[in-house]
Amino acid sequence: MKSLQDLSGILGAAGAAMAPLLYASLGGLLAELSGLLNIALEGLILIGAFAAAAAAGASRSLLVGLAAGAAASTLLAALFGLATLKGKANEFIAGLAANLLASGLAVLLSSRLYGTKGLLSFDIPSIPRLELASLAKLPILGELLFGQDALSYGSWLAAFLAWLLVAKSPLGLRLRAAGSNPKALAALGLSPERYRLAAILLSGLGCGLAGACLSLRLSAYVPGISSGRGWIALVAIYLGGRRPLGVLAACFLFAAADGFANYAQGFLEAPADFILALPYLLTLIALVAGAGARRLRGRD
Amino acid sequence: MEGLRKGGFGSHLASLAAALLASVGAAFLLLYAFSSSFGEALGLFFLGPFQNAYYFGNMLGAASGLALAGLAAQFAFSARTFNLGGEGQLYLGAIAATAACLALPEESGLLGKAIGLAAGSAAGALLGALSGFLRRRLGVDELLSSFLLSSALVYAGDFLVSGPLQDPASNFQTSPAVPEGLRFARLLPPSSLSTAALLALAALAAAWFILGRTRFGFELRLSGKNAEFARYCGIDAGRYAAASLAISGALNGLAGAALILGTYNKAMKGFSAGLGWTGIAVALVAGGSPLALLPAALFFAYLDAGAKAVMIGADVTSEIVGVIQAIVFFLVTARALDSLVARRAAARAGRAAGGRG
Repeated sequence: MKSLQDLSGILGAAGAAMAPLLYASLGGLLAELSGLLNIALEGLILIGAFAAAAAAGASRSLLVGLAAGAAASTLLAALFGLATLKGKANEFIAGLAANLLASGLAVLLSSRLYGTKGLLSFDIPSIPRLELASLAKLPILGELLFGQDALSYGSWLAAFLAWLLVAKSPLGLRLRAAGSNPKALAALGLSPERYRLAAILLSGLGCGLAGACLSLRLSAYVPGISSGRGWIALVAIYLGGRRPLGVLAACFLFAAADGFANYAQGFLEAPADFILALPYLLTLIALVAGAGARRLRGRD
Repeated sequence: MEGLRKGGFGSHLASLAAALLASVGAAFLLLYAFSSSFGEALGLFFLGPFQNAYYFGNMLGAASGLALAGLAAQFAFSARTFNLGGEGQLYLGAIAATAACLALPEESGLLGKAIGLAAGSAAGALLGALSGFLRRRLGVDELLSSFLLSSALVYAGDFLVSGPLQDPASNFQTSPAVPEGLRFARLLPPSSLSTAALLALAALAAAWFILGRTRFGFELRLSGKNAEFARYCGIDAGRYAAASLAISGALNGLAGAALILGTYNKAMKGFSAGLGWTGIAVALVAGGSPLALLPAALFFAYLDAGAKAVMIGADVTSEIVGVIQAIVFFLVTARALDSLVARRAAARAGRAAGGRG
């Protein structure tokens, strides 16, 4: 019984940890489907986290924080999108540039505005949670389904909306055509670049929410708060087979692995460095396993 | 990057000049926005590196490390592969070199130095080769695998430096210093400029010769430029792609080892952080020519030295250099590596054609 309670706790923590990954990954998925590799997710999350914490701290309002995080990331995404689409910059280099810009700018702003490069803690209201204590006590899935905060449920909603958009709407069909068959789209008199720019802006929005999720939950901004999540979100896109619900599953897998690592730290006595490396290692293993499976099935 | 065209040096110089201009403008604006003593900060940023022999020597020392890291990135680019694992390859290369040198006696001299450099290169090569292997055998994108492997192993490096290799006499997370006899001689003491700079120059010259003047180099570049055509010529393009990643890793490892023997003399936790990324920046500005890496590396070392001078003398943090680098990236490389985009686009079209439900 004790271990079932533990399991429910681990899965619940995974659900919470999944939210930022999922927001970012869904945004990245739209860009990927439209034909752009968005390598800037990491930086977009970081700047979103900074802006969200700073704005929420100044206004004492979660909504203002969310909006500021989303706006900052979308702005940076617009820069990235314009550089690649209008300036014909290489998407990879422009993405790296956006990452560098985000981490540099966050430090510059932090030391200019708050006089420190270190941790910034803010007085931010806590995020509303679902108050269903009795249901949350249910074994195994209780915490995951009934013990989450609004941002977690929001991420599920985002996955559902992305699924509607990508799989069920004519808009999604055109978005995918921009990536897989831009000539056909152009032949219809539609501009693939428009769809790509829109997708990039949406990936900025997703990363902004992801970043806001990280810093608002902590009521603080910590340097390097994105800590590799943008990269893992990127891999989740491929691991999820470039489909919204697949991405949801992949993000949950990563979050659960991360949660398990934290939990295991309690009794495994593994060095902390190992735990920190685990998300990257697991991502790599998933990537290799996925590629191996595709090989075995004879496609690719 | 004009692939197989031999010259192109003039266009690299043009892009370098553009980078210089862009960064000067960016530095000007950023200092204006983020410093309360604009004039002073401006002077420190642009003239600080030439203030005295110490700063100047440090800048040249940093440039030699950047040239090697840049060469590592460029070698992969030459075969149109991406090595995003520079951070980990450099760090673990440095740690491997430290461990090897700590095990060697002081008197091993030149041979000992060579062993240290070889250990560093081998560690880097191993990591690069693994990404190459995964790409060749399983089709795993090397861009992702090299990044993930490197990010994970940076923590392994942290563990080694603060655990098994930790100097018991120090309160910091650092290894003991390597024996004095195994260090490179300082050229402009007390600055960090050492004979490692000569090593970097030799590596650049060797790469220029190998890539431009040998069959191996020609086939490597051809494999990247047009894998289909290379196959018609009987060249195994996949093998060259894997080889380019291994060599790129080895060069990063060498850069890490040279950093230990030349500059730091001991491995400290996270001491090389960021160098792998800057190496990519250097390679992008230099384009396809190994010789152009030299001015590109000097340029980035200058920016870094300026930022350090501002940090010490005025109220701006040195992260300003990251922002300047980013702006340079955006502006200068807009049209570079066009064929890389084409390769990725083709791969994506292939994936899309492979059907999805």
